[in-house]
Amino acid sequence: MQRVELRIPSIPIFERVVRASAAEIGSAAGLSPERVEDLKLAVSEAVNNAIDHGNRGDTAKLVGVIFDIDGDKLEIRISDQGGGVERLDFSRHVIDDERLDAGYLRGFGMYLISALVDDYEVDSSQQGTVLTLRLYRKDRQQ
Amino acid sequence: MSDIIRREEFGDVVVLHILTTSVDAISAAAIAAECQEMRPITVLDFSEVSFINSAGISALLKFVVNARKSGYQLFAMNVTPHHQKIFKMVEMARYMPTIEERDLAAYR
Repeated sequence: MQRVELRIPSIPIFERVVRASAAEIGSAAGLSPERVEDLKLAVSEAVNNAIDHGNRGDTAKLVGVIFDIDGDKLEIRISDQGGGVERLDFSRHVIDDERLDAGYLRGFGMYLISALVDDYEVDSSQQGTVLTLRLYRKDRQQ
Repeated sequence: MSDIIRREEFGDVVVLHILTTSVDAISAAAIAAECQEMRPITVLDFSEVSFINSAGISALLKFVVNARKSGYQLFAMNVTPHHQKIFKMVEMARYMPTIEERDLAAYR
């Protein structure tokens, strides 16, 4: 198994650092270019969620990201130092007239994650939340 | 002049060329600010864009909201296949269909 670990302050610009790393690691793990794009977006959403909702933008708190390449599996664990969440809403969330009229223009991140990765799980406690994402090489899935 | 958006206007059309590669939380505010000066036909050009996340989608939705309020038409141009997939997933394409550059020739 090969592991890459990053820790960033809860400042949005550093999400780009994680995203750039995800692109390189996804390629190194043998994901197709389209799956690397899926990976970048899923990781971006997870990191932004950890910054905004987990750590509530407290720049003293860190977001940890661990990439594990294990055979044909790439597992990414994104952790925050917040107080935990009751639940994350991964339900399908799309744009419609009602939401637009209500000015409700956010909240697509968790749905996008659920649709883009092969599987995911959430472990949340008062010590923080860990979101685990997994993507598999395409040749394994076929 | 914004270093995030370059405006190109002709007739009732404005093409907003997005110059940043990332439509994300960092660039969202600068992009959304341009929605205050839309034209009856507003086109967002994504030719330089290699990444869009949900914070970016939220910024783009401000154009959708303003277009609906004003009765304007909003289009996307030069959208990558990956971003077309993402737009389809959130049903953005219903509110911001794609247009080809050649289709704008009639307005020039």
